Amino acid sequence: MSNKVKKRLIIILLSALVLIIATLLITMNLRDNIIYFYSPTELQLTNIDKKNIIRVGGLVKEDSYKYDDKTKIYSFIITDRSNEVDVSFVGIMPNLFAENKGVVVEGLAIDKASITAIKVLAKHDENYMPPEVIEALKKEGQWQEE
Amino acid sequence: MNLGNFGNILLLVCLSASLIQSLYLLPKKIDINYKIFSRIPFFFSLFAFILLIYIFVDSNFNYQLVVNNSHSEKPLIYKIAGAWGNHEGSLLLWILVLTIFNFIFSYSKIKNLDFKKNVISFQSFIIFGFTLFLFFTSNPFIQSESIVNEGLGLNPVLQDLLLAIHPPILYIGYVGYSLVLSFAVGGMLSNKVDKEWAGWLHPWVLTAWIFLTLGIGLGSFWAYYELGWGGYWFWDPVENASLMPWLAGTALFHCVIILEKKNILQSWTILLSILTFSLSLIGTFLVRSGILNSVHTFASDPTRGLFILIFLAIILVISFTLYAFKGPLLDNKSEINLVSKESSILANNWLLLSTLFVVFLGTLYPLGTDLFLQKSISVGPNYYILSLLPITVLLLFIMIIGPNAKWQNDKITEIIFSISKLFILSLAIIFGFSIYFIELQLTQITLLTLSLTLILVSIKNGLRIKNSYTIIKPSLGKSLAHIGFGLLILSVVGNATFAQEKIFQAKVNDILILDNHKFKFKSVEQTKGKNYNSIKAIFYLMDNKTILETFKPEIRVYSNPPTVTSETSIVRKFLADIYVVMNIPENSDFVNVRIHIKPLMSFIWFSIILMTLGGVSAIVFRVRLKR
Repeated sequence: MSNKVKKRLIIILLSALVLIIATLLITMNLRDNIIYFYSPTELQLTNIDKKNIIRVGGLVKEDSYKYDDKTKIYSFIITDRSNEVDVSFVGIMPNLFAENKGVVVEGLAIDKASITAIKVLAKHDENYMPPEVIEALKKEGQWQEE
Repeated sequence: MNLGNFGNILLLVCLSASLIQSLYLLPKKIDINYKIFSRIPFFFSLFAFILLIYIFVDSNFNYQLVVNNSHSEKPLIYKIAGAWGNHEGSLLLWILVLTIFNFIFSYSKIKNLDFKKNVISFQSFIIFGFTLFLFFTSNPFIQSESIVNEGLGLNPVLQDLLLAIHPPILYIGYVGYSLVLSFAVGGMLSNKVDKEWAGWLHPWVLTAWIFLTLGIGLGSFWAYYELGWGGYWFWDPVENASLMPWLAGTALFHCVIILEKKNILQSWTILLSILTFSLSLIGTFLVRSGILNSVHTFASDPTRGLFILIFLAIILVISFTLYAFKGPLLDNKSEINLVSKESSILANNWLLLSTLFVVFLGTLYPLGTDLFLQKSISVGPNYYILSLLPITVLLLFIMIIGPNAKWQNDKITEIIFSISKLFILSLAIIFGFSIYFIELQLTQITLLTLSLTLILVSIKNGLRIKNSYTIIKPSLGKSLAHIGFGLLILSVVGNATFAQEKIFQAKVNDILILDNHKFKFKSVEQTKGKNYNSIKAIFYLMDNKTILETFKPEIRVYSNPPTVTSETSIVRKFLADIYVVMNIPENSDFVNVRIHIKPLMSFIWFSIILMTLGGVSAIVFRVRLKR
């Protein structure tokens, strides 16, 4: 093997090694930072790691939205009309939040039917329904096309 | 004649003229007068676009698009902007920009006529594809099904002056890369991919890059003040969709520079050209198909996504088939030395593409799990931050070293010696800051020091010391853009490190304290805007008894369509923005207020302006030099 070929071979092997390690690191990092979405029914059926941030979405149940003046905690219930999840939240509720509308919350699960929200996500448009919520309602046979 | 039919005729002329022009690409080279057939689509799509604006301004509710996106009481400027604030209109704008590029290029003084015709014909083929798409799946001139007297209105969040000009600018960027792809295809067909080719391509690549940079900056600026979340970049799929072609495009024009100077890397440049426009198309597909869940909602429709995907496949098949035959023949065989300007630009290429890979994976992975595992997930911002951190460190390092290396061969020790003083100065500044103000972590020190070094080194490279400091004109663009990038990283890291945020529940006369700022809640005002009702809360930033600043965060209640929005109130200072946003919960006697202190925000926007100016001056001085 000539010197030139050897030199090239080393460079190629080294770059392949770097590339593989980088890809591995990136994919592992990706896996650690995935946020899973659950409908209330799916949350019932899953073993939740209470340390991982998750998202739960569905409709805000009617007459469930409350605010406690002393503790400053908002609470409401997310439903997919089969199962329900209690949500508690400290912070600013988004403008578009309303009962009977779609909502997605991000936070830590306390158990299979309650979650402490870090973020409450409601979207720009009033008619807008988060795709995950539509999907969750469809799975429970509760979705009606308008 | 009915205006809609007239519009359809305009589109059909545009469609057939561009089809006829693209026949030149066939092996038989059916040659007609390219000057006529490349310019007709421009005039006709321009007329169609003006016609669309006219029916919006006229509030002509005979047209479905106007019904869905406009309202007679809307201010004039938003009636006009409403024409392209929706899918159909924005696609017509996209076509118009495609034809503008072809129109301007048809006047270029390139002597190689076969090459010129090939470029124009492939561009015409792209115009043909998109016009077909517009005409059959997203026709803007469709009549309403029933008689309607009033429209549904434009989403209030989109009723914003900045958002009216943001899409056209972003589109000029995206679409500019279509001409770059046409250059690649034309170059391969005419066996003309060399120094001269790179010289012709250079201003076009830069033009697309300038507009894309500015477009992304404007979008980010809009999200910052309009969404009211205090952030300016959310790693949202729609944002990522615009970042991906930017990364590929940045790698591309650095390659074009090497090709023009050294006549190497032909096939790699071609590959990047194909990649960049493909990513523009993928970006459009992601945004328009609605398959990704985004904080920015757009009108979307799966069949449209499918068409873009098929069109992307056709373009990819054509360009890669051509590449498979011609690619290997293009390259000049020559060795690249490890320490040289070429090699540092190549390293920068790989780092930009690694960034692209990270963004691509994070954007498309949720799509994959949704399709194949029926599991909805989203990727948190931490993924991007952690993955991009080491890449950014390397990128900064190469950007400091690279521009100081000579072409072909250089000694690493000499380069390091030449930048060492500025590096030590930067390190001292950052360390001093860490000791006297706030203790910084190792990653922050690394990033801040390297970006500060980059700024200083780039300033030094842009100036030449003889008797006095003079600006070196040809490298001014490079220096400005590199200073801009250094400043961007510096201010993004500074912003993330020193940002503060607090939420208050406040009643009138309450005093709110964040850090060393004291806010007084003065009063609540109710007013009527043009097409909304407004509630404003008045806050004073106080210094003992004197009022320093007044904040008026606002809630707007629109009736068409019925929507509530929060308007932020931002006071920009040199070192930090103070950002106030509020809302009022139902049946409550207090308001919710969120106050952010956002350091170095003005520097973030300024850095984007610097990069854009860098691009502009690179074009300007290049044109001057040629004369």
